[in-house]
Amino acid sequence: MALFPVISNFQEDFVLLLLPVDTENTMDEVAAAAAHHSVGTRVAPRPDKIVRVRRQGASDFFPRDQRLAETGVRPMETLEFIFCDA
Amino acid sequence: MALLDRSEWYDIARTTNWTPTWVSDADLFPDVMTGAQGIPAEKWEVYDEPYKTSFPEYVSVQREKDAGAYSIKAALQRSRIFEDADPGWRSILKSHYGAIALGEYAAMSAEARMARFGRAPGMRNMATFGMMDENRHAQLQLFFPHEYCPKDRQFDWGHKAYHTNEWAAIAARHAFDDLFMARSATEIAVMLTFAFETGFTNMQFLGLAADAAEAGDYTFASLISSIQTDESRHAQIGGPALQVLIANGRKAEAQKLVDIAIARAWRIFCILTGPSMDYNTPLEHRKQSFKEFMLEWIVGQFERSLIDLGLDLPWYWDKMIAEFDYQHHAYQMGLWFWRPTLWWNPAAGVTPECRDWLEEKYPGWNDTFGKAWDVIIDNLVEGRTERTLPETLPIVCNMSQIPICAIPGNGWNVKDWPLEYEGRLYHFNSEIDRWVFEQEPERYRGHMSLVDRFLAGHILPPDLGGALAYMSLQPGEMGDDAHGYAWVDAYRDIRRAAE
Repeated sequence: MALFPVISNFQEDFVLLLLPVDTENTMDEVAAAAAHHSVGTRVAPRPDKIVRVRRQGASDFFPRDQRLAETGVRPMETLEFIFCDA
Repeated sequence: MALLDRSEWYDIARTTNWTPTWVSDADLFPDVMTGAQGIPAEKWEVYDEPYKTSFPEYVSVQREKDAGAYSIKAALQRSRIFEDADPGWRSILKSHYGAIALGEYAAMSAEARMARFGRAPGMRNMATFGMMDENRHAQLQLFFPHEYCPKDRQFDWGHKAYHTNEWAAIAARHAFDDLFMARSATEIAVMLTFAFETGFTNMQFLGLAADAAEAGDYTFASLISSIQTDESRHAQIGGPALQVLIANGRKAEAQKLVDIAIARAWRIFCILTGPSMDYNTPLEHRKQSFKEFMLEWIVGQFERSLIDLGLDLPWYWDKMIAEFDYQHHAYQMGLWFWRPTLWWNPAAGVTPECRDWLEEKYPGWNDTFGKAWDVIIDNLVEGRTERTLPETLPIVCNMSQIPICAIPGNGWNVKDWPLEYEGRLYHFNSEIDRWVFEQEPERYRGHMSLVDRFLAGHILPPDLGGALAYMSLQPGEMGDDAHGYAWVDAYRDIRRAAE
C-alpha cells in the first residue's frame, strides 16, 4: 500500500484536480474518489451511469477491478473519468 | 538667459556612447546584460525614440500629474464612494493592487537595467525616465490602498501579496521574473515595454480608468489615468529596439522574444481582467465584454503594431483568439470556487440577468459553464455551502502557475499538455504554455508549482488549512463571495415560483 497522486480530468468538469489515491485501489475505487470531487460539486449526478477510467487520450478503459499498481500508471499522470453505461 | 529649444540640443546631449580606455567595451557592456546579440554599438546609434523629453520637462509634467492624483484623492477622502461601491468593484481594486503594486518596483529594476545596459543612448535616456515612472507607480499604488486598510483588511494585500506564497502571487512573480527581472536590457525592451506594456498594460489601463469612472470611483480613475500617461511614453522604448534587431538580421530572435512575452502576458491579463470585466463589474456598468475588448484592442490594434514593425503574428495567434471565448470563464470559476485562497472576495456574477448577458456575449455559455454553475447554485439554494468549497488542489500549469482549466459541461474540452523533461513530468494548460517551456527548459525546469511543493511536503499539514497557512492567508483576509451569497435569493425565488 502506498499513497499515489494522480490527476483527475473528470468529464464535464472544468479543471484538473489533484487526486490522492492508493496503489491498492481498484479502478472503480479510483473513479469513486475522483467523482467525490466533481460529481455533485460542478458536475450533475448521473445515477444511471458508471464512471470508467482511462489514460488521457486513450480509447480503452482500464478493467474496473484492476488495481492501480497493476496499470503502469505513473505518479501524477492524467487520467480521464468518463460516464459510461452500466 | 534665453534657452535653446529642446530640438536644437537633444540629439547631441544624449549621444552618450564613448570609447572606453580603462576597461574594454565588452567589460563595460557585457552581452549577457545588454542582450545586444553581437550587434555592434554603432549599429544601435540609429535607435530613435519616438517620444523625446528633457529632465526639466519630465519633472514639471510629473509634478503636475502627482498633484492631480493626490488632490483628487484628498478631496474625495471623506466621500462615501468606497462604502457605496458595489462589492464587486472593491474586489477589482483589491486584486489589482495586490497583483500590480509591487510588480511596479520590479519594472523599475528592469527599467534601471535598460538605463545602465541599453546599447542605444536613446534607450538609456528613455529608460531613466521609465525607471522614475515605475517608482512613482509603485508608490501611488501602495499609498492609495493603504487608506482603505482600516476599513477592510484585505487591502493590506496591496503590499503583502508579493511577500507571500499565495498562488496568484506566485503566478505574478513567475511571469514578471521571466519577462523583466531576469532578462537583458534588449530583452526587457522587447518583452516588457513592447509586448507587455504596448500590447496589454497600456490598453488595460485605458479600459480600467473608464470602468472606474463608470463605477463612480474617481479616485481610482484619476490614479490609473495618471499612470497610463507614463506607460504610453515609456512603452515606446521597445519599438526602435525591435527595428535595430530586425535591421541587423535578428528577426527570428526578436520574434521569439515577442511570442514568449505575449503568451505570458495573455495569461496574466486573462485571469485578472477577464473576470473583472465579465463578472466583477456590475452588469449595469459593463460597456463591452472581455472578448470584445480583446478583439478591439489586441487583435485590432496590437496586431497592426506587430505587422508595421516587420514582425509576424505569433504562431499561436489563432489559438489565443479561440481562448477569448472560454479561458477567462474557466479562470473565473476557479477563482470563485477556490475563493478562500484569494485576498479578495470574487463576485460570482451569475445572477439570471448576468447569465442572459453572458449567453448573448458568449453563445453557448449556459450549455457549458452554465451547467457547472447550475450544480453550484443548486448546492447554495439547498444550503449545502460546504459542497461549494474546495477539498483538494487544482493542478497548476508549470508555466503560468494558474490552474489548468477549460470548458466544462456539454463543450467539455479540458486537457493536460504534459511534457517529460529530464525525468520530471511537467503539466501545462495549453500547447502555447508548453511551447514557452520548450524554448528554454533549463530556465524554467527548477521551479516548483504550488502542487509540486505540496507533493514535496512543503505544505503542512497537507490539507486546505495547511495550504492557507502556507499562503499566509489569515482569518479576515481569506476570500469569500463578494455579495455574501445574496444573489442566490433570485434562484430561491424562481424555485418557489415554480413550486
